Amino acid sequence: MSQGSGPLNSRRQFLKRTSCGFGLLALADLANRAAAAETTSPLAPRAPHFRARARHVIFMYMGGGPSHVDTFDYKPRLQADDGKFQGAKNQGQKFLKSPFKFEQHGQSGLWMPEIFPRLAKHADDLCLLNSMHTDVAVHGSATTQLHTGNFRFPRPSMGAWTVYGLGTENTDLPGFISFNGAGGTTNYASSFLPASFQGTRIDSSAGGRNGNVANIQNPRLAADLQRKQLDLLGKFHEQQLAHDQVNPELEGLIESYELAFRMQGAVPLVMDLASETQATLDAYGIGETGTDNFGRQCLLARKFVEAGVRFIELGKGDWDQHNNLKAKLKANAHAIDRPIAALLNDLKQRGLLQDTLLVWGGEFGRTPAAQNGDGRNHNNQGFSMWMAGGGTKGGYVHGSTDEHGLRAVEKKMHINDLHATMLYLLGLDHEKLNYRYSGRDFRLTDLAGVVAKDVVA
Amino acid sequence: MAHLYRLSVVLVLTVLGVPDVQAQPMNTASQGGSVDPRPSREGLDLFERKIRPALVQNCFKCHSGDPAKAKGNLVLDSRDGLRKGGISGPAIEPGHPEKSLLIEALKHEGLEMPPSGKLPDEVLESFESWVQMGAPDPRAGKAANPRNTIDMAAAKRYWGFQRPRFVPAPAVLNAQWPISDIDRHILAKLEQQGLRPVPDADRTTLIRRLTFDLIGLPPTPQEIDAFVNDPSTEAVAKVVDRLLGAPQFGERWGRHWLDVVRFAESTGKELNLPYRFAWRYRNYVIDAFNNDKPFDKFIVEQIAGDLLPAKTEAERNELLVATGFLALGPKSAVTRDPEQFKLDVIDDQIDVTGRAFLGLTIACARCHDHKFDPIPTTDYYALAGIFNSTDTLAGIKPGRRVATAQRLLPLAGTSAEVKLSTADSSKEAERQQQIAKIQQQISNLQKQQRAGKQRPAMPNAGMKQQLLRQASAMQQNLQRGAVRQQIKGLEDRLDELEGATTGSGNLAIGVRDADTPTNARVLVRGELKEKGPVVPRGVPTVLQTVMTSHMNPRSSGRFQLANWIADKNNPLTYRVMANRVWANLFGRGLVDTVDNFGALGNEPSHPELLDALALQLAEQNGSIKALIRSIVLSRVYQLSSTHDAHNYEKDPENQYHWRMSRRRLDAEEIRDAMLMVSGQLALERPEGSPVMHLTNLPVGRGGKEMQEVRRPSNVRSVYLPMLRGLVPEMLGTFDMADPNLIVGKRDVTTVPTQALFLMNNPFVLNQSRETAKRILGQQGLSQNGRIELAYRLAVGRPPTEPEHAEATNFLASFRKAFEEANQAGNPQVAAWASFCQVLFQSGLFRYVY
Repeated sequence: MSQGSGPLNSRRQFLKRTSCGFGLLALADLANRAAAAETTSPLAPRAPHFRARARHVIFMYMGGGPSHVDTFDYKPRLQADDGKFQGAKNQGQKFLKSPFKFEQHGQSGLWMPEIFPRLAKHADDLCLLNSMHTDVAVHGSATTQLHTGNFRFPRPSMGAWTVYGLGTENTDLPGFISFNGAGGTTNYASSFLPASFQGTRIDSSAGGRNGNVANIQNPRLAADLQRKQLDLLGKFHEQQLAHDQVNPELEGLIESYELAFRMQGAVPLVMDLASETQATLDAYGIGETGTDNFGRQCLLARKFVEAGVRFIELGKGDWDQHNNLKAKLKANAHAIDRPIAALLNDLKQRGLLQDTLLVWGGEFGRTPAAQNGDGRNHNNQGFSMWMAGGGTKGGYVHGSTDEHGLRAVEKKMHINDLHATMLYLLGLDHEKLNYRYSGRDFRLTDLAGVVAKDVVA
Repeated sequence: MAHLYRLSVVLVLTVLGVPDVQAQPMNTASQGGSVDPRPSREGLDLFERKIRPALVQNCFKCHSGDPAKAKGNLVLDSRDGLRKGGISGPAIEPGHPEKSLLIEALKHEGLEMPPSGKLPDEVLESFESWVQMGAPDPRAGKAANPRNTIDMAAAKRYWGFQRPRFVPAPAVLNAQWPISDIDRHILAKLEQQGLRPVPDADRTTLIRRLTFDLIGLPPTPQEIDAFVNDPSTEAVAKVVDRLLGAPQFGERWGRHWLDVVRFAESTGKELNLPYRFAWRYRNYVIDAFNNDKPFDKFIVEQIAGDLLPAKTEAERNELLVATGFLALGPKSAVTRDPEQFKLDVIDDQIDVTGRAFLGLTIACARCHDHKFDPIPTTDYYALAGIFNSTDTLAGIKPGRRVATAQRLLPLAGTSAEVKLSTADSSKEAERQQQIAKIQQQISNLQKQQRAGKQRPAMPNAGMKQQLLRQASAMQQNLQRGAVRQQIKGLEDRLDELEGATTGSGNLAIGVRDADTPTNARVLVRGELKEKGPVVPRGVPTVLQTVMTSHMNPRSSGRFQLANWIADKNNPLTYRVMANRVWANLFGRGLVDTVDNFGALGNEPSHPELLDALALQLAEQNGSIKALIRSIVLSRVYQLSSTHDAHNYEKDPENQYHWRMSRRRLDAEEIRDAMLMVSGQLALERPEGSPVMHLTNLPVGRGGKEMQEVRRPSNVRSVYLPMLRGLVPEMLGTFDMADPNLIVGKRDVTTVPTQALFLMNNPFVLNQSRETAKRILGQQGLSQNGRIELAYRLAVGRPPTEPEHAEATNFLASFRKAFEEANQAGNPQVAAWASFCQVLFQSGLFRYVY
């Protein structure tokens, strides 16, 4: 890094002067691993705890709670018991079979519904997690838990933890990007982790060259004039830092201006889809009504991964099918089927899939029983997610729910287990990735989490 | 009595795996407790299909939850419970049904279970084969340990539940240093810790700190000069009194309170319907702080203003508006079930009342006894009864997709404030008549519907009668369908009418007592369908011995609740508020978790000081201004923020107050200060809010009306329209409190999007240019004089010599580059605007030292 040598130098001096100078480096774990990198930037890449299978994460958040029994958890028994009472003695609600046909695909023979024709061709890349469960069946809380491990209190998001653990590879871009800020700020916040790890929200849908990130371009000043401004600002800050002697917050502020300036150059380049061929755009379904939004996100995700961004969250909402299940699920599946298939192809062709962990899923699943005739209610006791790439076992089904898909029964995987496993694939030990806050050590998995080693290839 | 209710709730609560309930809170992750290493698939299938449902339906009533309370101390709701068994020994011996007590009992050989009668043979066989297979059981979790039923006697010993005690300020070694008892409390701790206070702040620093802290704006150069040159020993007090008397004081401190009470002008959630008159509550809060309304009065008015006597119409209106506190929480208008809707509103009311005033997370006890604090579920429903006996008039009806003026509080009188935005045309009157008529029609049809549901009983019906009944049922179904259709049509028409134009403005959002007070029923796991016992209305048990409260059987009990909270003997209320005041002045509370004084909160760093401040607030007429005054006149408030290596080593977070912590300007301060520096700030209070001009339709992101809401405005930030999910961009970028949440302490984030805002946003560019013009417009000033003025305006002090030199160089070189680049515009103005922008970006502007 060439810019801002003054502040960086002085920061190093401060670090020498006081062991508490930079909150981040006061932590033994990070300090040890960062020492090798010989830099004090909180975003500098850091060595993992052990061999990393994945270097990037693309998290595809399906807001609303997609029905697992209609997508990735095929339940022949549910098909057979359609219309029967769920409870004993003819009580309770009635089962509702999936309106979709399931078939086996690929070498692995994974069962997939007819609504994912293109994704089905990638059956052998998918690692289905069919025994997910989570603590609550309320959208907001469950979404927060999916992102932070905890549904009660604001905690750092998994993206923030990831960048905290590994830094980022491109200093011109944030390490953690959340498209459209899925589910509100708590889901991409750094909470008590240092501010640099917070997710940066980028609007993927605006389109165009510069309309994507708010205030990404100065409407009046050319870049060299703005650089003059920032140089002056840098000098002021240098003096201020000298005056204050120790001011970690000001250091964060300095960092934020420099990153912002670099982002002005880098973000529009990455977000510019003009350099992509028409064939690529078509493959992702960009330009077509049903698939444009998610297709754009998937293509941008690939570009951000290429550019070295550590953690990217995409989103597709509207999976809350309390009624009209068939039509809505079909439309949703259509919206993501082609884009995800294209993303998998694209990453594979570029040799990026092995380094990139894809995770797909919502905050919970849905009941095998019917609601409002042709809908399903929330179900936190059993649902499906899937992973692909990043060192996961393709064409594999991990765990299962009971025969109707109500509860996870075999190799149960709590959200904390999912997080532990994701960190493991990134080369991080979830029990060691700690941050001391409010008098105790916190981690993404808090006091729980078991790595599902079975999913590792 | 309440105790008994609690026991029964606990029993039902701990039932795991009720088949028809999918939404089930669990408190532990999957691990914890042992699980069979590899139970077979068939075994688990059998368990899920046969065993679990049978256990739940037939056994859990007596054998679940707390073993100590379960019959025979036997619980069957966990794997361990079955294996451990109760007083008669293990319930099963895996692999050996013939030796298993459970099987014996189910067969009624010896023990007879369930006592109501033997289960079907098929089920018995399933149990036998299941035990034969080794009793595979996927259920995690140990048998519940004897649950800590809340030990109230022990709980009452918690510091927060004991009344504040006055402890004389301690003796200190450095007796010269303190100027008040606050200082003595602080210094004693510092000395104990081996810390030394840093030197006092200089006057330029101090007046900037005071002005931002008290009114949220920067001091003017004239104010700075006057203070710096004031030789009086009362100089600080004079500034403080001027600021406390300024109308801008209420705008700053009112905003702190609005954060706590999740103030917003729309419902948020799925539909986001507007609260067109919520601004009245906002103004009420600002006025309350400006008028230094006694805090106890402030409490009672917000919870029960409608139940207080009023001498004048204006006073009556003010008291009604105050209850907006209870009405303006987030609401899910799509919830069709009125009972569920009401329960959610009540939950919000309990949450905000508990946390804002008592620092207690009572709402945690909605579905289960509080995990950490001594708040049983019955306490929650005791409070729920109070709000259940209250009508919340927020203009929202469950299931309706538009807001309605019909469900708001009418205000009386003809004052300008009340009549604001009233459309008194005959057309409007006609519209209101139509609305009323349609509502009457709907209500009649609904009555018809309800009557139709009560079918006559037909005991011993024969075949013929049965056929007749079926026929009549079919006919009824047809009729019901027609009525439904009719209602739907009328409701659509109603939506159209109410969504069409702006209704009259003499309305407020708030509450009033329901016609008949109704105690609430405990809802097991918070589930509407699982009603438990009725709980009498009341206040939290753990605080009952400290002060008692008697509910009036003929009213909701809100008045009693309000007075109980505002009672000077309430151990929490005044501590919580005094702590909020302290936190707003020092950046952290004496209790750092300002909204949580429970077990999960932090302990006070200076308990005696907290008590002293709480007692002062309670006993000196509930005066917030007096409390602020005594704090800011202390020496500890007036310390500099200078670094000290020795102190920093020992206390990097400055929790002992060896210096003043630097504070980042918050969102409103950044915006308001820029407008003030540029000379553009409109200090007058605007009329109402742009939100009152919206229709009753959901607020969206587009539309002509939204343009009005979004229109740039130079009023103070507290008056900007505050719609949930649509917080003004600038305020959102700089960590404004999310109005969906109760926020006593805002986040402070540092993200590049903030930097980008200050680098590129048109608002910042415009204010920078206006500031440049203002400075260039000063007659007779040299360039040096202008640089100095810019500094004094923006950061409250003249530039240092190096800063001055850098500024001079920048202005010249920027201007040159600007001219060479042939950029459009006046190079001088552009150079100055760029310079002023750098000042706005700088840490000097963004921090208060």
